[in-house]
Amino acid sequence: MIEVNNLHKHFGKLEVLKGITERVEEREVVCVIGPSGSGKSTFLRCMNLLETPTAGEIRINGELVTDPKIDINKIREEVGMVFQRFNLFPHMTALKNVALPPMRVRGLSEKEAYDRARDLLKKVGLEDKANVYPSSLSGGQQQRVAIARALAMRPKIMLFDEPTSALDPEMVGEVLNVMKDLAKEGMTMIVVTHEMGFAREVGDRVLFMDEGVIVEKGTPDEIFFNAQNERTKSFLSKIL
Amino acid sequence: MSLLVSYLEHAVAVFPSLLRGAVITIEVTTFAIFFGLIFGTIAAFGKLSKRSIFKVPSIVYIDFIRGTPLFVQILLFYYGIPGLITAATGQVFRIDPIIAGIVVCSINSGAYNAEIVRAGIKSVDRGQMEAARSLGMTERQAMKDVIMPQAVKLIIPPLGNEFIALLKDSSLLAIISVHELSKNGMLYVSKTFAAFPTYISVALVYLALTMGISRILAYVERRLGVSDRSE
Ligand SMILES: Nc1ncnc2c1ncn2[C@@H]1O[C@H](COP(=O)(O)OP(=O)(O)O)[C@@H](O)[C@H]1O
Ligand SMILES: [Mg+2]
Repeated sequence: MIEVNNLHKHFGKLEVLKGITERVEEREVVCVIGPSGSGKSTFLRCMNLLETPTAGEIRINGELVTDPKIDINKIREEVGMVFQRFNLFPHMTALKNVALPPMRVRGLSEKEAYDRARDLLKKVGLEDKANVYPSSLSGGQQQRVAIARALAMRPKIMLFDEPTSALDPEMVGEVLNVMKDLAKEGMTMIVVTHEMGFAREVGDRVLFMDEGVIVEKGTPDEIFFNAQNERTKSFLSKIL
Repeated sequence: MSLLVSYLEHAVAVFPSLLRGAVITIEVTTFAIFFGLIFGTIAAFGKLSKRSIFKVPSIVYIDFIRGTPLFVQILLFYYGIPGLITAATGQVFRIDPIIAGIVVCSINSGAYNAEIVRAGIKSVDRGQMEAARSLGMTERQAMKDVIMPQAVKLIIPPLGNEFIALLKDSSLLAIISVHELSKNGMLYVSKTFAAFPTYISVALVYLALTMGISRILAYVERRLGVSDRSE
């Protein structure tokens, strides 16, 4: 479903991704862990071209998205993204946040878009918050709206960039539960997270990144309990 | 006592002429606000653009206008440029002073507006554009539906100050004989030498006008604040 081949990304002189090669199969849930600044966000952002790779190839469903001639917006329609800081549109209600993108991008009628948005808010447990503005929602609620908003585009792949690290601890669970449901429905997901419980419950594989490369990968149990690489071990000893 | 009476008489006598001047002042300011907003928005987007054919002219425009006095811009536009055209074509070329005044004030105001609009757009969190783009919205859609509605609230208050400054600065058009408020005051003084009562009247009429604009702006800001409950 996703094939990344020798991906490089520079910011000026700084090389942030130093040759990443990885495959993610359909319905797979891959968790990415690694120290801050190791390039996890950049890796994710390359996949929906929020960052333009410096070199290497990314294919999504066989389509070469790193081809300069590709329609970037078409790719982004297929790849949903959830950010650490939610990035809801503050001047729109929760419902409109979810309804607007499919209306603008997929050309849905207002009724279709709002019906879909209501269904999705229900799915994330926020049907009663439809007409509330983001500033009146808790962090956990905002993140669930953000997930609903990404889903409204009916993406084939969902990218999550530390979706729970800006949340108070008591709100982490509600967001992870929504993500677990999504994983169980068969969504293909790449999740940057240090939530070991989540990774073990629904993750198929874990990638450990450091200094722009994938240092080690394996099943969640292999990585968390039987890491081979010293850098992995040292990192895990700090977060666990 | 008789001095006060004589001052009051002058104030009353000059008043109709000041009102006619105020109408011209309002007219010039209104047109200049309108075109200044258009120029300012274009220049703001030009300066924000990544493409140098848009970026460079916008920067040159903004820096030139903001780096030179309005007074000199008025002289340059009303005397300098027609003089140049006359010399180049051999035919006498003139501009109507009011038209010249509107054009110069629009161009001048546009450069200041551009910086205000640009700052407003830039201060919307980067994550907003990224979220919109990650949902497949085009840059244009994201600007219209996501960025601008948030930027407008940041832009309106400083823009309001800019309109007030513009109204006051339009008094400089007296130098090219636009019969606006100040010029009409000056004409009356040149006939009567009653400088104090005339210029205090002129000042009070400006004050009334700027307070009027402030009121309108406060209303607009309130309306925008009410229709948006995000704060
Ligand atoms: N737009 C950018 N411009 C310059 N440097 C950047 C940019 N984005 C990220 N970086 C740098 O790239 C490195 C990796 O960042 P990031 O991918 O955000 O890491 P992580 O998500 O693992 O913490 C960091 O050193 C960061 O400072
Ligand atoms: Mg990151």
